[in-house]
Amino acid sequence: MRTKALHLQNVVKKYGGRTVVNVPDITFGTHGIEGLIGPNGAGKTTLINLISHKVGMTQGQILYYKDEKEIDISNKSFDEISRLGLVRSNQIIQDFESLSIRESMLLSLATPKYEKFYNIFCDKELRKSTEQEIERYLDYFHFDNPDGHALSAGEKKLLDIIRCMLLKPNFLLMDEPTAGLPQDQTDKVVELMRRKTTEEGMSILIVEHDLDLIWKVSENVFFMAEGEILIQGVPDEVRKNQTVINKYMGEGSNA
Amino acid sequence: MGLLSGYVIYSLSFLLIYIALATILHLQFSITGIVNFGLVGFWGLGMYLFALLQTKLALPFLPALILACALVGMTALLLGRVILNLDGQAILVGTLAFATIIEYLTTTEKWATNGVMGLGTIKMPFDFGRSTDQVFFLLILLCLVLLILYTAKLKTSPYGRLLLSIKDNEVLAQSLGKPTFRHKIIFFTFTCILIGFFGALSAPLYNYIFPRMIGPGVTFTIWIALMLGGRTRLLGGMIGIVATVGLFDYFIETVVPIPTQYAEMVPNFKFALYGLMLILILMFRPLGILGDKKKEGVK
Repeated sequence: MRTKALHLQNVVKKYGGRTVVNVPDITFGTHGIEGLIGPNGAGKTTLINLISHKVGMTQGQILYYKDEKEIDISNKSFDEISRLGLVRSNQIIQDFESLSIRESMLLSLATPKYEKFYNIFCDKELRKSTEQEIERYLDYFHFDNPDGHALSAGEKKLLDIIRCMLLKPNFLLMDEPTAGLPQDQTDKVVELMRRKTTEEGMSILIVEHDLDLIWKVSENVFFMAEGEILIQGVPDEVRKNQTVINKYMGEGSNA
Repeated sequence: MGLLSGYVIYSLSFLLIYIALATILHLQFSITGIVNFGLVGFWGLGMYLFALLQTKLALPFLPALILACALVGMTALLLGRVILNLDGQAILVGTLAFATIIEYLTTTEKWATNGVMGLGTIKMPFDFGRSTDQVFFLLILLCLVLLILYTAKLKTSPYGRLLLSIKDNEVLAQSLGKPTFRHKIIFFTFTCILIGFFGALSAPLYNYIFPRMIGPGVTFTIWIALMLGGRTRLLGGMIGIVATVGLFDYFIETVVPIPTQYAEMVPNFKFALYGLMLILILMFRPLGILGDKKKEGVK
């Protein structure tokens, strides 16, 4: 068991009068890979959006732990949180249409040092210093043409994950990372996640509807329904829990 | 240099200035996604500030140029801070309003600008006798070449990719930890300084400047030219300017023999014809005359 990475206190999100997320007290990141499951509309994606500050919360506090320091990220901006090492991948496919696959990866790797309007001659230096890392990912995932644009939904999804991984986050939020990917690519993503968490100490929280994947990879599972996290525990406990069966998997399910 | 004298060299100098403005618009709009409809505001501000500093405060050329650019930069910084985190339409309206304010101020603040009477005379930075205009033309050409080289290099630099990512998907760029608002302000300020710089260079060319020179027509002409030439391409602005300003204002007016009774119709017809050309181009070549480089990887 590792030290916690995120601590949410009294986090509430309301749209109009409707409470879509209500989390009194929860800790994420005590395991390498954690899963967040729940029926549609349970508030999973909203919770991810709240943590990464893509949307603001109505009330509450989010504490983030990095290098044994406690940082209150409740009022930090979206990009600031990413720079602190709390990164998210996207559920809906997102891409930069002007950038090729390789350029997109270079964008992710470019530090502020390279990104100055007067510093226009540093491209070679950046490409050279990042070449190995980029090649490793390109070898691993096999894109048809790394200097072309990501074409299929699958390529874009993988590129999204690679961009996040290249940022070397401490804590990675993945919203349906393998949705729409073929099985062999899903396996590669899973293997990559395992390697990152065991070798580099990254913590990952996955939101998924693919329960087989959740039971297989997560060490700790949170079950969310109607905006609240009702149950957490090791996969085997959660899948046998009566509430989870009633609210999510349905009677007689042996998923 | 007999051919390159008098009106011809004057016209060509302005053609270069317009090409520079279209190239800067390419930087702002096509690379960063900032919809600047107040281009003429920054150009006019640079022009008027430079003229005021030179005529009223009697500053020499270089200090006046630098100070004018600095003041344009501060204005752009303030404006950018207010409007750049709004959406595209709001930025369009905001910049357009800014340009309108500048035009009105030059008319109303007679104590400084002499209003519609015009401000002058603005001197050339050097005196080479009869070839002064030609040397100044070469100076503008040099600045334009540097601008185009910068733009070309920027597109393949990490900063260029950052700007493109902001244009394509700002939220995604933020999720990669990029402080997009800050970079938009920085780059907007920098490019507006460039616009102001070319504005300041225009002042000695005009010799005398009037508020009506900085009407919205300049902005529209440059937008039309960029769309016409190819907004995604480095030389799109240049091609567009040559096809609009170059063709109508100079070629047809000076070279083509038009009977005098029709000659005065040309300027009136000009904008209608620009519009017609734009419609045709957008119908048959949506990305302009130069089009887009075939995206690699598309099969």
